[in-house]
Amino acid sequence: MTNVLPSTETVIVISVFALIYMLMLLKKTLRGRLDLYDFLMLSMVAIIPAAFALFPSIAYLVSHLTGVVFPFVVMFGALFLVVFAFMHNMTARLHRLERQNCALIQEQSLLALELQAKKSGRSDG
Amino acid sequence: MDMGLDSGAASNSTDACHDGAAAPRILLVIPCFNEEASIGNLLGEIAATGRRYHTLVVDDGSSDATSAVAACRSPVARLAHNLGIGGAVQTGIKYAARQDFDFCIQIDGDGQHDPRAIETLLNAYRKDPANITIGSRFIDNAGFCSTRMRRAGIKLIVLALNSLFSGGRITDPTSGMRLLDRSAIAFFAKAYPADFPEPISLAWAMRAGLTVNEVPVEMRARETGVSSIDGLKSASYMIRVLGYILLARLVRSP
Repeated sequence: MTNVLPSTETVIVISVFALIYMLMLLKKTLRGRLDLYDFLMLSMVAIIPAAFALFPSIAYLVSHLTGVVFPFVVMFGALFLVVFAFMHNMTARLHRLERQNCALIQEQSLLALELQAKKSGRSDG
Repeated sequence: MDMGLDSGAASNSTDACHDGAAAPRILLVIPCFNEEASIGNLLGEIAATGRRYHTLVVDDGSSDATSAVAACRSPVARLAHNLGIGGAVQTGIKYAARQDFDFCIQIDGDGQHDPRAIETLLNAYRKDPANITIGSRFIDNAGFCSTRMRRAGIKLIVLALNSLFSGGRITDPTSGMRLLDRSAIAFFAKAYPADFPEPISLAWAMRAGLTVNEVPVEMRARETGVSSIDGLKSASYMIRVLGYILLARLVRSP
């Protein structure tokens, strides 16, 4: 198992990226463009690499426990799991939106029909 | 949901028999997508039967003059966007539920279904009531029975439905000509499959305990347009339908 620590520059770059990205996400969340779940899941893209960079001993422990030689492989595995969970949730939401959209379109056509019927009923006297 | 209308756009007749007993109110749901060339003839044929059918043409987001042609003879529910056959048919079923129709009969707007066969469905219901009565092409094998490849695929779907569900023996699960009674109308008004609606709706219905009956009818080759299920799509269609049928067997009814 290697025990190479990330360089100071690497830690700084990753931390700055994580901070800026999370601030952007927070701003969007506060404006209502993202909900809390989206904020948390998208933040993982910044939090996981930052955690691995800032706490290398934990990173090595996790890679040791999982039997993987390089911690960054574990990091990418974790990111993949996050993306998969997010995609799973988005798919469910998309299906729900499709059903709602279909119901709305149906309702709109039936209401238009009934409005037309009322109008023609009134014009017939 | 009752919209409070005593007489909907389709209720132009009294629906009373000569002996004073109330005749059943029957709605013909005609889903259409770009059928301006055939819908006029179909509505003319329906009127020529002399029966007191109420009609509702569901224009599924057509880009041609389907609505304009149909509006001369029938109320038209125009969908703002194309929902597919499942969404269009369910629109008609919801209308039937809200307007308190006794029967809802689906017939295609492409001229494949002879309106004279509607009476065949009704007679079959009177003789042997079932929640869903299907006009089947494959009992007598008369008239247009689709291509050989499609018939083979249909046979597989038939095998799946008849072996996995009870409540009726089916020979034509993809027929778009079917009669729904009040129970079926209420059931499908709540949920109707968007994908592959004809066979999947049967799976859902039988899973929920509804009964299905069939009666032989003759169908014509479509007057205009082409089927959306052709070529390689037929194989893909069959595989996906079988998957949905299996899923319907495994889960609770919607």
